Amino acid sequence: MVTVKIDGKEVQVAPNTLILDAAKEAGVTIPTLCHDSRLNPFGACRVCLVEQVNNPKLQAACTTPVTDKMEIITRSEKLSRVRKTAIELLLINHPLDCPVCDKGGECTLQDLTYEVGVTKVRFDAKPNDTPVDHTNPFIERDIDRCVLCGRCVRICDEVVNIQAISFLNRGTDTIIGTSFEQPWNCEYCGQCISVCPVGSLNNRIYLFKNRPWNLERVKSVCGLCSCGCTVDIDYEGNEVFRMKESPAEGINHGYMCAKGRFGFEFINSIKRQSEAVVKAGGESKKVSFNEAVEVAVEKLRKVKDTAGADAIAVVVSPRLTNEEAFLAGKLAKDVLGTSNLFSTESEEVYPEATLEEVENSDCVTVLNIDVTESNPILGLAVRHAARMGSAPLAVFYPGYTALKRVAKKFVTGNPDEVRASMESYAAAVAGASNEYSEWAAKLTKAERPVVVFDPYNKADVKIAQDIKKACAKVKVVPAKSKNNSVGIVDMGFGAKCATEFAKGLESGKFKAVVVLGENLSARSVWTKSASKAAGLELLLVTDPFMSETAAMSNVYIPVATFAEKSGSFTNLEGRVQSIEKAVDKGVNTDACVVSAIAKGLGAQLPADANAVRGMIEKEVPLYSGINWDGGVVSYPYVFAGEVAATDGKAKGKGRFFLYPASLRLHSGSFTRWSPDLAKVYGEPMLEIGVEDAKELGIKSKDRVKVKGEGFEGEFLVEIEKKVSKGCIALPEDFVATAGIFCNGKSLRADIVK
Amino acid sequence: MKNVFETIFFTEILQGLGITLSHMFKKPVTYRYPFEATPIQDRFRGIQYIKTHADGRTKCVGCYLCQKVCPSECIHIETDCGPNGERLIRKYELDLSRCIYCGYCEEVCPVDAIHMGWEWNTVASDRSGYVINMKTLSMNYKDNLEGNWKNKHLKKKLVEGVQQ
Repeated sequence: MVTVKIDGKEVQVAPNTLILDAAKEAGVTIPTLCHDSRLNPFGACRVCLVEQVNNPKLQAACTTPVTDKMEIITRSEKLSRVRKTAIELLLINHPLDCPVCDKGGECTLQDLTYEVGVTKVRFDAKPNDTPVDHTNPFIERDIDRCVLCGRCVRICDEVVNIQAISFLNRGTDTIIGTSFEQPWNCEYCGQCISVCPVGSLNNRIYLFKNRPWNLERVKSVCGLCSCGCTVDIDYEGNEVFRMKESPAEGINHGYMCAKGRFGFEFINSIKRQSEAVVKAGGESKKVSFNEAVEVAVEKLRKVKDTAGADAIAVVVSPRLTNEEAFLAGKLAKDVLGTSNLFSTESEEVYPEATLEEVENSDCVTVLNIDVTESNPILGLAVRHAARMGSAPLAVFYPGYTALKRVAKKFVTGNPDEVRASMESYAAAVAGASNEYSEWAAKLTKAERPVVVFDPYNKADVKIAQDIKKACAKVKVVPAKSKNNSVGIVDMGFGAKCATEFAKGLESGKFKAVVVLGENLSARSVWTKSASKAAGLELLLVTDPFMSETAAMSNVYIPVATFAEKSGSFTNLEGRVQSIEKAVDKGVNTDACVVSAIAKGLGAQLPADANAVRGMIEKEVPLYSGINWDGGVVSYPYVFAGEVAATDGKAKGKGRFFLYPASLRLHSGSFTRWSPDLAKVYGEPMLEIGVEDAKELGIKSKDRVKVKGEGFEGEFLVEIEKKVSKGCIALPEDFVATAGIFCNGKSLRADIVK
Repeated sequence: MKNVFETIFFTEILQGLGITLSHMFKKPVTYRYPFEATPIQDRFRGIQYIKTHADGRTKCVGCYLCQKVCPSECIHIETDCGPNGERLIRKYELDLSRCIYCGYCEEVCPVDAIHMGWEWNTVASDRSGYVINMKTLSMNYKDNLEGNWKNKHLKKKLVEGVQQ
């Protein structure tokens, strides 16, 4: 420890601490512009200059480490003069269009200008005036306002590792731009927007819609993928204006992905339903909430009396909060007396490693999942480990992913080859000697190895289990897909296999089905039997939107999205995090629906999240005494039992291997309704390699037919460099593709023009 | 002595009568409102107008500062992004029934768009006309500029103030 004196206050800090951090320790604030504690020191803006006693030169606080007995002065007349000049120099080229700039009101430069008291710039102001760049669908780039702090360049390089933007030219001509002035080649994560201190990089979804001082803010958790990012929901009245990061907070450290940052618009969508619909005798009628519940209750009672409780099934979606899923389970078990609780999730695999453990891992293996697309923040953690912590990263995936840049080993090929490679890798970890022995040794020798895999693919689960068995210190991350995929399992919706529900529908065993938020048609396990649900005595569907399943239902009740309710989600680490209600769109929550049905059936179930939490703590042993805002559930096991060996070989015949691709800015049910994400990827696109496309003579945006054993479909083509030869890929979570992947995760197909 | 003189000859009464008599020949200082209009001073703060460019586009950029500064919260603005990425004002509403004519909006406007006009008569038989929008505010500018005042007493000289 070294002792430093900052503005007369003595503090003890670790050697090599930056002056800025030492000052924070001493309770002294030093103004900064280009500094970000998550990034490497840069020292571009010279706003943080401080005086060191007995040193004639001024020091930049954000880049200078402290030495013992150092004496620092952060406020003096000389320093305020220097800081003022630094700001004045920035204001030479910075256009003063604060009234129309989206950053006005929350701009660091604006704040600093007030702080140092610049009222008039002494130099000849030459504001830049170049056209605004709108080539990126989500990010507006106005290089005129740029102060060249380099935060966007650094975050894109150090954190996201895409290097989409960089400094161009030199000296006074320096600008931030893309390579060769080409359109953005980027992941649209918007990390650059979050760090831009001025209005140079703006969120196009929020662009000009409101001003920051009008917005109210709640801290909540993103309800799209299972990473469970802490976000700020900014709203005015009952409209959500933006979802942005809580700076440096939460498990995501203030990082977000395209889905969370730009995909929230579905909350305000005009396609949202506001009235319940009851269908009787082929005629649908708009009714009030109470009437719809009455009809549902009556039908449930009738089915229970005539066909027995076993003819009733309850299906929940992973979009529900823990509290709602618990209530649904209560309704099914205690009120209706049925044990038919279904969801797409299963309790075969439980979470193990936390994101922090992934970040600090010293050897990461990613098995057959495009983690940067499916769970972007987990992807950032993997990148952090591989790049900042220089952990050797091995990735197995048919086709290259964004991890290619950081992976020390990237095994690709057709799905069958990748599967064989993964199997020999697992065998090598277990001690066999083969081409992967060297890599397996890295894993077994590492102190904190991590394996990321896709829990929805049985063959992958088997391989992950084999690795875990051979090397017990390996921590696995099942990359679950939806915001509460883990939580609904904890609430009892993972015990029964999802296929059992499909069988029940096919055989006509179920007469009444309550579907909370799920879209049966878009889930590959259920899509084939979904049409059977249309003829049921009761198909009660709750959904914010009129989904394909909701359109088939005979009782439909519109419900709230995650921004309109309180509760908690459990993320892929098993961390329980509270969500807060931000807006009210005039629809009920799923909890209200369940509670109203229970009341109609003569039982009392509370709809209030806090009351339900009390019940959960009593009845769910995993959650007894849990901290509802950040507590990690300790699971009894990772893998439920020996996973049966499945034949992972691609099914069917055909020239191409077809596998489920990355979701492409979508995470399934909700993001399809976001107009802005749909602008970029509105419909499922067939990805094909360059060579194959050339051979077949198909171009980008062509429509081709994909034909395999038992399926057929027409899709737009997108030619992708990263797809391996002999492979094609389709996203999984669309209605059009769910019908294909219900046949298996790895298929063979032909392309017919 | 003087006191006796005043008492005998009622000089104070005569003085008073004299003042009254002199006023009979002067112009009246009161106005017979509503039959007659009251004069408006140059710095009078009446119903707002919003300046337009020569081509008719509004000068307002929709920065929300007037909405923020307004103490009676009578201004309501909605903006959005236009088709070419420009700032677009979807809605600009000013509720005259709430306005206290303090002139803060005029003072805060960074682009010299909103101004206090000289028109002040808002009397109507119902409240529907009190909420005025950008179209009316721009028309008010034209009226102030050309001197098309409903109140006939507003003199032409005020027009010069508008053009500044």
